[in-house]
Amino acid sequence: MSRALLRSALGLRAPVLRLTAPSVPRATPSLFTPAAAALPTTTAAVRFFNQTAQHVEPTQDPSVLLPSTPSSSSTTTAPSQQQQQQQPPTQQSQPRPLSPTVRALLPILAAQPGHYIRIHIHGRPFLVTEGDSLRLPFRLRGVQTGDVLRLDKASVLGSRDLTLKGAPYVDERLFTCRAVVTGVEAEPMRVMIKKKQRCRRKKHVRSKHRFTVLRICEVRVNGEVVDEA
Amino acid sequence: MTVRALQKISVARNGVGAFILQCKKMDFHYCDWAGSSKGMNGFIKSLLPKFAAAHPQIEFTVSPRPAKHPVIIAHYINGREKAVCVRNMEPFEILKKAELLRDASGEKLRRVTKPVSSINESVRGIWSPYHGEGMRV
Repeated sequence: MSRALLRSALGLRAPVLRLTAPSVPRATPSLFTPAAAALPTTTAAVRFFNQTAQHVEPTQDPSVLLPSTPSSSSTTTAPSQQQQQQQPPTQQSQPRPLSPTVRALLPILAAQPGHYIRIHIHGRPFLVTEGDSLRLPFRLRGVQTGDVLRLDKASVLGSRDLTLKGAPYVDERLFTCRAVVTGVEAEPMRVMIKKKQRCRRKKHVRSKHRFTVLRICEVRVNGEVVDEA
Repeated sequence: MTVRALQKISVARNGVGAFILQCKKMDFHYCDWAGSSKGMNGFIKSLLPKFAAAHPQIEFTVSPRPAKHPVIIAHYINGREKAVCVRNMEPFEILKKAELLRDASGEKLRRVTKPVSSINESVRGIWSPYHGEGMRV
């Protein structure tokens, strides 16, 4: 689905709120599936999460599909170097066509039973499979419990025998990864005692962080990818 | 030797098929007379109707509790409950506490160091030195 189509599907609130939207750091999960969009927000908080700009990397080389054998020989990386020489860096206005190796091996990757994926949220990598619970080390802003997020930044996507490595990210057309926000957890209150020598005074510094918990509800490799170009 | 079925209990993974909010009931207690309930009384009048309408999956009860501080008690699917005392708070502070209780899972708070918790078995299997092509020394 193109971004313009999704933006139009999300309704008119996106361009209005974009005036007040702060700049969000790169490599955020930028697509927001409005499964709970009908759910009215109880607070007047502006939800910035679906207004993040598309993060497009100036990639030089296409993502390379390597067979992951236990004894890694140097011959497997040979096609990637050829691909780098063939493809000059182009404008990122339209999606780049896939390399023939990826196109050939993608149905095999999709046909294998289990998949793992290394997704990036706010630049942090998390290696997950379908059904995993992911407790982020931070609180995700602009999401509510029950929202479904589409995570479109992944650096590695693989199965038992094949691994698709992105440079730095795998093309987002090749896979679908969705996560449900299941809630916000907290940790027990931490108390740090600050004490100086030869001084009776003790200072208790308390902190308690809150963490967003996601559940990876879908990891799918799109076996058939149609090039628009 | 008889063939015996594997005993396997299905493990709930909330969100994989359907997502169910873990908070099932919230009780709001107030006092008409006491000053510490001033914010709670304002919250019940102004903000609670909207909050309750936004969450049809939660049962809301409002009941007086004279000569006591106001409190919110949330009940969760796993049988636990969490109570937050909201004395002397403003209505919007109380709304934040209500949202905190709504988003909580009902579990005890504990420190978690690993971000991913999985019950799936390893996708790529366990590495073995005796299989494959071996390593040249």
